Amino acid sequence: MRVLITGSGAICAAGASPAAVVDAALAGRSGIAEVASFDPAGWPRRLAAEVADYNAAKLVGDRKLLKLIRRSDVFGIYACSEALAQAGYDAHRASLDEAAQVALAEGTGCYVGSGGGAFNVNYDYFPLMAEAHGDLGVFGRELASMVNPMWLLRTLPNNVLCHVGIRHGLKGPNGCITHHTTSGLLAVIEGAEAIRDGEADRVVSAGHDAPVEPQTMLYYQRCGLLAESALRPFDVRRDGSVLGEGAGALMLESEASASARGAVALGEYLGGGVASEGGGLLALREDGDGPARAIEAALADAGVRASDVGIVVAHGNGTPLSDRSEAAALRQVFGAAMPPVTAFKWSTGHPLAASGILDVTLGLEAARRRVVPGIATLGTLDPACAGVSVSATARATTSDVVLVVCRGFGGTNAVVVLRAFPA
Amino acid sequence: MNGRHARRVAITGLGVVTPAGNDVESMWARLLSGRSCGAPIASFDASGFSTRIAAEVRGVDALPISGDRKLLKFGNRSHRFALAAAEQAMRDAGIAPTPTDRDRWGCVVGTGMMTVSYDELASVQANAAPDGELDAAKVLDESTSNDPMAFCRSQSTAGVALLMKRFDIAGYASSVHTACASGGQAIGTALRVIRRGAADRVLAGGFDSMVSPVGLSGFCLLSAVSADNETPERASRPFDATRNGFLLGEGAGFVVLEAWEMAVARGARIYAELAGDGNSLSSYRITDSHPSGDGPIQAMRRALRDAGAQPSEVDYLNAHGTSTPMNDRSEAAAAAVVFGDGVGRVAVSSTKSVMGHLIAAAGAVEAVVCTLAIHRSMLPPNANLRDIDPDCAHLDIVRDGPRERRVRVALSNSLGFGGSNSCLAFRHPDDARALMRAAR
Repeated sequence: MRVLITGSGAICAAGASPAAVVDAALAGRSGIAEVASFDPAGWPRRLAAEVADYNAAKLVGDRKLLKLIRRSDVFGIYACSEALAQAGYDAHRASLDEAAQVALAEGTGCYVGSGGGAFNVNYDYFPLMAEAHGDLGVFGRELASMVNPMWLLRTLPNNVLCHVGIRHGLKGPNGCITHHTTSGLLAVIEGAEAIRDGEADRVVSAGHDAPVEPQTMLYYQRCGLLAESALRPFDVRRDGSVLGEGAGALMLESEASASARGAVALGEYLGGGVASEGGGLLALREDGDGPARAIEAALADAGVRASDVGIVVAHGNGTPLSDRSEAAALRQVFGAAMPPVTAFKWSTGHPLAASGILDVTLGLEAARRRVVPGIATLGTLDPACAGVSVSATARATTSDVVLVVCRGFGGTNAVVVLRAFPA
Repeated sequence: MNGRHARRVAITGLGVVTPAGNDVESMWARLLSGRSCGAPIASFDASGFSTRIAAEVRGVDALPISGDRKLLKFGNRSHRFALAAAEQAMRDAGIAPTPTDRDRWGCVVGTGMMTVSYDELASVQANAAPDGELDAAKVLDESTSNDPMAFCRSQSTAGVALLMKRFDIAGYASSVHTACASGGQAIGTALRVIRRGAADRVLAGGFDSMVSPVGLSGFCLLSAVSADNETPERASRPFDATRNGFLLGEGAGFVVLEAWEMAVARGARIYAELAGDGNSLSSYRITDSHPSGDGPIQAMRRALRDAGAQPSEVDYLNAHGTSTPMNDRSEAAAAAVVFGDGVGRVAVSSTKSVMGHLIAAAGAVEAVVCTLAIHRSMLPPNANLRDIDPDCAHLDIVRDGPRERRVRVALSNSLGFGGSNSCLAFRHPDDARALMRAAR
């Protein structure tokens, strides 16, 4: 069963649509800057990729909803709305009679990858804890007067799934995946599989996260994962990643559903693969075993050969070991016939749970233009990454087949293969 | 049915850590006894909370966890539950990944939403937010804030990473969270992963602990938990006319799932077939399904369709049955629609009446309960039912003690905040074998 992509949405520091972010990348623009949401004076690592001019009410178009959701959810709901709008979903629903609307709702699923909330969801308890001075008796008695009664609901990791469902009346199969960085890409894979299984006719898949806040940033820094002055994928001088925020979303649809509603396909989901290294939360193998197996599994699932791939969107998070081992995996799979490789995190930052699906929306957009945006921060390729075909400047794709790699804590690697339909 | 359904999935290993017992035998005995685990909270001072009762796991420090003890530093209370329950399940299945097949093993878990322990949070607050507002500059010097181990424990993938390292699993991995439906959705995902050939064996389950100041607070603020502080053993009474909220539990449940033919080839004991996964979104309200049962109805119907089973084959429904006014009414309405005139022939119980609501672990532990019901031809009772809610009176609730019954198909409902509904279908292994013979 073919799975088509009929809508796409994205938001991150570099732009509020896949087209805008690809434009930014092609122009060499990065959304990375000194943290604005808190004062990073005195911090050894001060960079982040934050969405500028954040206006939650404008992004979700529903002021009342803001009482029930957090910043990360705002991004997720926005990206889903964009993907659904591009697919013409609500307009199609409005054109149907009541019985057909029910059938449409039951056949439409939603799979969301969620960061599960940054550390800052707990900050809402700090005023109460300051009042209680460690006395849990006081904590319990003063709770209702000092903490928002909706705290738990605002904090649910599955809020985007819930509210996108309510907004658009989706009643099909669903999931919320909280698997660190790979969450969004796993949501694409499971959404596509629900269509292949015949459980759904169409699915909204999304990923969202908003990890830029003091405690989370400090933890990443203490683990040696953050860059000082720039995120430089595969560069010899790379020294870490930069936390970003945002969301990506796709409307996936069976060929029958898309053609029945006359939806325009942007591309096609060809396959996915998942493999873990099992070494623990932060461990990565030097030899790229996990990403290599995930890429091989995705190519096999997609039924395409390595030589068919025309653009690779690498994870390229800018940390020394991750990029080096990812390079090893790419060499193992593609050998000397390496397709053009790029990565977007130098421009978008690393929006954790959103990163894989954001990269899918960007890879799809770029491949529809038949262009491989350059990595503007790339100076000298690390000899340990030799053989990875990256460039500081834009090149042409060598085919319409896009391969997207995503790696996360827990040593999990997820890979998706798509075919772009050039505009 | 499409071609993927040709691959059936066997349940060959079970493990639990629950308020009703820290292994399968003791949990089962407690469930059959019908004695509820509700009691005053012992793990922290809950004297000031509107609800001061819960169903807690006892003997946490004594939980048998083998392998590298250093792993425990990377885990919190719920991860400890997960390691202990998974250990039981893997031993029970009598199989473990080898260097040549570790990539064919997956791990899918339903995880809780509590990321930081209260003590860690208290340390950050005292030093970096003494006035209640976080001061970013002070975070830089705070000890917990600089502790990479605290960070590791707080990650959504902390549990699955520990399990994969402990058992050397290197294939498909996912952590899912759809609130109270998490455990069911995790096992349903694992079923699909094996069917489509992305793995041959999956360690699947769920773990959670919200029995903590912040966890309990969330539910107290919503008035979702019963405040029957004087009668904790009666607090969880699903389907009773006087029910007034759920009893918070904690724990973990795990199953080992295997492609049926591979389980047969190695001569494994097969407890039951994991036959179907049904999954729907209510899209009604954040915390409730529609009183008509819309939402749960679709999940149950999809599970039966996915299992290739008729409603008339269902002998046991392990209800979500939280003991909240809205849930039990909606779920009872859903059963009436799905089973129609046959609703009175389906035995129903909510084991939350005994062990409380294990939140993200609930669906996983209740999958173990359904498997045992099939394996032992015995249905655990719904404790504390005195006056049945008239809206639920059409249900044949197993009350006043366990009931012997051979179960052809069992269903397990898990309905989550956020509107996700999971229903898993389990089939007696002899019936699965008969279906396979008939197909040949």
